[in-house]
Amino acid sequence: MLKERLQVLVSVEQRRCLELEAQRRGTSVASLIREAVDAHFCRVSQADRLRALEEIRATRGRFLTADELNRLVGDEHDGQLDAVTQPNPR
Amino acid sequence: MTFFVDANVLIYSAVSSHYREPCLEILGAIARGDAEGRTSTAVLEEIWHVELSGRAGALHGLAERAYTLMTPLLPVTDEAFRLALSVDAPALGANDRLHVGTCMAHGIEVVVTADQGFDAAPGLRRVDPLDPGARHKLVG
Repeated sequence: MLKERLQVLVSVEQRRCLELEAQRRGTSVASLIREAVDAHFCRVSQADRLRALEEIRATRGRFLTADELNRLVGDEHDGQLDAVTQPNPR
Repeated sequence: MTFFVDANVLIYSAVSSHYREPCLEILGAIARGDAEGRTSTAVLEEIWHVELSGRAGALHGLAERAYTLMTPLLPVTDEAFRLALSVDAPALGANDRLHVGTCMAHGIEVVVTADQGFDAAPGLRRVDPLDPGARHKLVG
C-alpha cells in the first residue's frame, strides 16, 4: 500500500531521462522511481545482513598481513596480464 | 559519517587474528544500520579473488556474504577512475588508488583499513580497526 508522500528535487536531465524511460515502458515516472528504490535499496533486509555477518563470524580463514593481501591481489592482475601477453603455445 | 571499508576489514572478520573482533564490531554496526560504512565493487572483487585463491584458508562464500552485508556497493565510475589517476601516492598500488578515487568521487573522507599505505592517501583519513577510540567514533 502506498501511504508515504515524498517530494524530491531532480535535475532537468534526470527528469527528461525518467520521462523518456516511462514513455518507453508505458508506465509512470512515479512507478519508475518506486521500482528503482526497490531494486537499489530493498533487495536485502536487515535480517539478511545480520545472517551474513554471523556466517562471516563462523568462517575460519588464515591470517595474511595487509602487504600479503596486496601482493595476492596484485598477483591476480599480473597473472591476467601474463595470460594475454605470453605467446600461445601451438 | 560515511566511511569506506577496505577489503582487509571484511577478510579479517573471517580469519583468526587480533583484528577479528574489532572488524566484526564495525561490520555489526553497518549490518544493524548504526554506521554508514560503504564499500565498492572493486573491493568485493579483491575479496572474491582472495577467497578463490585459497591462500587465506577456507573462506568459501565470503564474497557473497560480504556482498549481502554491504550492498548497495559504490560503483567504480569514470569519474572515480579519473580521480584515481591523479592520486599522488607512490606507496599505493593501482587497486588502492582506485579505492581512493572512489572515495573522492563519492565525497568520502575516511577509510577503515589495516593497510598503512593509505596513510599517504591525499584527502583521506585512515582509521585502523585496532584503534578503539577512532573505531568507536565511527560506529558509536
